[in-house]
Amino acid sequence: MSEDNSQNIDLQQEGKAKFHRGSALSIFKSDRREDLVALACALLIALGVYVFVA
Amino acid sequence: MVYTKKHPALLIMGVLLLAIAAATQYGVLDGVVGYLKIGSKTGEIVNLAYIFGAISVVVGAWHMWGRHEEGNLDYYLSAVPGGMFILLIAMIVTWFAAPFVAVISKSLGPVMADKYLHDVLGLNYVVLGILAGIITVNVFRIPGWAENGVRLSRLGLKTGVILLGTLYSLAELAHLGRLSVVMIGFFVLGSVGLVLFLGRRRNIPNSMGGVLSAGMGVCGVSATVAAAPVVQAKPTEIAYTIGTILIWGVGCMFLFPVIGHLLNLGHIQFGAWAGTGILNSAQVAGAALAYQPDGIETLKVAEIFNITRVLFLPLIVLWLAVWYVRREETATGMQVNVGKVVFEKFPLFVLGFILMFALSSTGIFAPAQHYKGKYFDNDIAQSKLLTEAETGLLATEASKVQSPARAMALNRLIENRKIMNIDDDATIRGLTNANILSGDANKVLKKAHSAVYHTAKMVSAFRKWITWLFAFGLTGLGMQITGAAMRQAGGEPLVIGGIVGTIKAVLSLIVILLFVSETI
Repeated sequence: MSEDNSQNIDLQQEGKAKFHRGSALSIFKSDRREDLVALACALLIALGVYVFVA
Repeated sequence: MVYTKKHPALLIMGVLLLAIAAATQYGVLDGVVGYLKIGSKTGEIVNLAYIFGAISVVVGAWHMWGRHEEGNLDYYLSAVPGGMFILLIAMIVTWFAAPFVAVISKSLGPVMADKYLHDVLGLNYVVLGILAGIITVNVFRIPGWAENGVRLSRLGLKTGVILLGTLYSLAELAHLGRLSVVMIGFFVLGSVGLVLFLGRRRNIPNSMGGVLSAGMGVCGVSATVAAAPVVQAKPTEIAYTIGTILIWGVGCMFLFPVIGHLLNLGHIQFGAWAGTGILNSAQVAGAALAYQPDGIETLKVAEIFNITRVLFLPLIVLWLAVWYVRREETATGMQVNVGKVVFEKFPLFVLGFILMFALSSTGIFAPAQHYKGKYFDNDIAQSKLLTEAETGLLATEASKVQSPARAMALNRLIENRKIMNIDDDATIRGLTNANILSGDANKVLKKAHSAVYHTAKMVSAFRKWITWLFAFGLTGLGMQITGAAMRQAGGEPLVIGGIVGTIKAVLSLIVILLFVSETI
């Protein structure tokens, strides 16, 4: 796979394409977006646990 | 670009999951369930396998026979096969491989105190998940249809770290001794600083130094996982850090009790040393129990020191965020605005951890004084009180107890038919561990403890979620670790980890010998 391909998960390519490291490890455009999605997922899980387990 | 691949893999995985669910539900796997002693997990196996099996079949059918057009729906749905591939492996590891390793390990008998080989080596679902991922990618390679979804693993880890905040509460942490906060603060910050310094001297990448410093300074997998995105650590570097922590922890677990006995350390001294010098929670507990197999006083102190480290996690992450950007941007000759860096780079998921910790401290998920979902409450129903026969048995054996503190706690239990306070509960647990009374009397003590020591259902549910998110994330992480990348990283992290770990252990021992008496 080429460096331009965001599907590339071979980290050996990272030295040449540092800027794309985030996209090599994540399907999201930026770390901040991934954080927000993780936060949303966690809050949804917390709400689910609070509603159904309580 | 259309990302979805018309491939039957997702459909096949879905059918396989449905088959596992049905086989478990209708008793086809009873022999396996009995051998692996996973009877308590059958409900989870059936539910999760049915749910994810059904999702896989539906999305898999859509992938095979649907019409796919470029766009967000195509992009995100194309990650499902890879995500399900990770989850299937994580399920096999968690449900079958980890229990199998435990069965084999237990058949060999305890190797240290009451710990079995798999406990000592930390061969749990976390480590086995990473290994399974590494084997998958290096032996079989990641299939094309799974490549997109493998990149979901970090999302799982971040979500798990946020939910980790629900396991702790401020009320419990407020009980910590000042000494533990000062000592842990000094050694956490000192270790992080030392790793970063040594990393620079030995020319390891900033990302490797950053993630290793969090692992060596704070503790265990969670800190490593939390710090990794901040310093943009590669999966190989995360694996090296976790490996260093585990190897160091195993060595310390055997060595610390021997040194402790040679120096004739008191229970509090040893607990404080183990809680400071050993990095992994399970191994801290192992060393403390090995040092004092007939009680839990050492374990309690070690756990207090271990808990204190959690407090420093957000602080360390913030430090690493600023340090990393400064190092990276200094190399490119750019000016760094620290305020801007903190605002732009500080990972929101760590704020999520703090938010969950704050929510947990309000008592919304469990009584506010809980720690990891366990709490003491002796306001119990009449049916939970000890019977006359049980208190009679304890009374006849009370003369065997020599320690005044244990004798008083036992007398209070006999008089009231229940444990009266949290300190008595700890003392009674110590008495049970010591095996001074007969087996029947010990069963009564355990019953009394169970009656007043409760598990919060919501926190148990969160723990299950965290387990699965970590199993998913770490299995996926393992799939991003190639042999070539490991060779490229070299053995430098192990060397730096060993140096810092040794300095930390020796210095903390000196501090404890000089300043810690038998009271905190």
